[in-house]
Amino acid sequence: MKRVLIADDSETILLLMRTRLELAGYTVETASDGQEVIERVVEAEPDLLLLDAMMPRKSGIEALRELRAAGYKTPAVIVSAHQNPGDADAPTDLEIDGFVTKPIDFDRLLSEIAVLTGAEAV
Amino acid sequence: LSPSLANRLRIGFAIGFALLTALAVIGVGRFIQKRQDFEDAIARSYQVEIAARVQVAQGTGGRAAGQIVRREANRRQELRDQISDDTRDTAILVAAGLIAGLTGALLLFSGLIASLRRPLEDLVDAAGHLAAGDLSTRVEVGGLSETATLGAAFNEMARQLEMEASHREQLDRLKDEFVLTASHELRSPLTSVQGFAELLMLERETLTPQQVETVEIILDNCNHLVRLLNDLLDLARSDAGRLSVRLRPTELAPLIDEVVRTMRAQTDGSDQALTEAIDPRLPEIEAEADRIRQILVNLITNAHEYSPQGANIEVKARVVGDEVEVSVTDDGPGIPETQLEHIFERFVRGDAGLTQRVGGTGLGLAITKSLVELHGGTIEADSTVGTGSSFRFRLPLGSRA
Repeated sequence: MKRVLIADDSETILLLMRTRLELAGYTVETASDGQEVIERVVEAEPDLLLLDAMMPRKSGIEALRELRAAGYKTPAVIVSAHQNPGDADAPTDLEIDGFVTKPIDFDRLLSEIAVLTGAEAV
Repeated sequence: LSPSLANRLRIGFAIGFALLTALAVIGVGRFIQKRQDFEDAIARSYQVEIAARVQVAQGTGGRAAGQIVRREANRRQELRDQISDDTRDTAILVAAGLIAGLTGALLLFSGLIASLRRPLEDLVDAAGHLAAGDLSTRVEVGGLSETATLGAAFNEMARQLEMEASHREQLDRLKDEFVLTASHELRSPLTSVQGFAELLMLERETLTPQQVETVEIILDNCNHLVRLLNDLLDLARSDAGRLSVRLRPTELAPLIDEVVRTMRAQTDGSDQALTEAIDPRLPEIEAEADRIRQILVNLITNAHEYSPQGANIEVKARVVGDEVEVSVTDDGPGIPETQLEHIFERFVRGDAGLTQRVGGTGLGLAITKSLVELHGGTIEADSTVGTGSSFRFRLPLGSRA
C-alpha cells in the first residue's frame, strides 16, 4: 500500500483527506505543520506528500523547499486556499508535481495521486 | 528682466512721471498768477500813460510827461513779449505734464494687469492639472493680496482633494485585502462541508431518499458558495490590478467545442438545444485557455439558466476583420433595455423573479468583461424582450493585450 503524508493545520481537513485517501486504499500519515512534515519524511519516507501551502510556523512550500534542497525527490502535491482553479500561480522555482485548490476536487486529486504514486512504483 | 526688477522700474518711472505732472500743475498755477500780474501791470501802465497824456494836453507836464508816454509804451511791449514767452513755456509744460501723466497711468495700470495676470495664469494652469488628476498640484502664493488669497484658497482645496483621494485609496486597499482574506479564510470550512457531504454521497446506497436529497441540497449550496468565492476573488484581484492572463498561442475551435460538449450535460437536462457554428478557418490567437473557458462557461451558463425549457442556444465563432468574434445567442426571455445598460456591472442581474430560480452570483458578467479586456478584447450584449439575447466578445488576432 502506498503511504501518503498529508499536512494541514485544520484537524477537520486532515480527517476529511485521511478518510477519502483511506477509502481509496492509501495508508495515511498526518502532520499539522511544515516542521512535522520534514520530521515524518526523514523518519518514514512516504510515497507522496500532500501539503497545504499555508500553515503556521512552517508552510508546506517552505518544508518542501528544504526537503528538495536536502535531496528528497518524494512527489508532492500542494493544496492552496489562496487561488482559484485557473490561477495556478504556484512557485515556479520549486519542483512541484501537482497543485490543487480548496475546495478540493477529490476526483481530480485522487486520479493525480494514482498517477504520481503509480509512476513512482514503476 | 526679472519680474520684480521690471516691476520696480515700472514703479520708478511712474513716480518720475507723476512728479513731472505735478510740476506741470504747479507751472500752470504760477502762469495763471503771472498772467494776472501782467494784466494788472498793463492796466497800470495805461493809467500812467493816460495821466501823462493829460498833463501833455494841458501843457503842465513838460518834457517829462512825453518821456513817460514813450517809456510806458516800451514797458508794455516788454511785458507782452515776456508773457508770450511764458505762455509758450507753460503750454509746453502742460503738454509734457499731460503726456507724462498718461504714460505714468499706463505704466501703473499695465503693472497692475501684469501682477494680476501671472498669478491668474498659474491658477488656470493648476486647475487644469488638478482636473486632469494630478492632485499634488499647488500654486505659488504671493503678489497682490487678492491673488494671494485666491492662491491660498486653491491650495487648500487641492490639499483637501488629495487627502480625500488618499483616504479613498486606503479604503479601496482595505476592501481588496478584506475580500482576499475572507475568500481565503472561507475556503477551509467550505472544503470541510463539501468534502464531508461528498463522503456521505459515496455511501448513498445506505441513505434514505430524503437523506440523499438533503445532501444534494448541501452540495448545491456548496457549489454556489464556491462560485461566489471564486468570483469575489477574481473581482478583488481585478480591482487590485492583480488579475492577469498568461497569453499563449491557443486554438479556439477545439476549446469552444470542448466547453460546448461539457455544457450539454446541463442544457440537455432542460431540453435546451446547445449548438455551435465555428468557422473552421479560425486561426490561433494569443489567449489563456483556462480564462477563455471561464468566459464561455459564464456566457453559456447565463443563457442556459435564464432561458426556459426547450430554448435554443447557439455558440458562434468567426473572424471579423483583425479580430475573432465569439457569440452566445439564446431565444430566451430577453433583457429589458434598462437592465441591459448595466448588465456588465457587478451584482446586476436579470429579472428578480428569474434570479430566485437561477441562483447566480451576479458577478459573472463583471468578471467576464474584465477577463475579455485583459485579453485586449471587447464584449457587448444586445437583447430584445421576447426574442432573446446575444453576448459577443471579440479578441484581437495579433497580440495587443
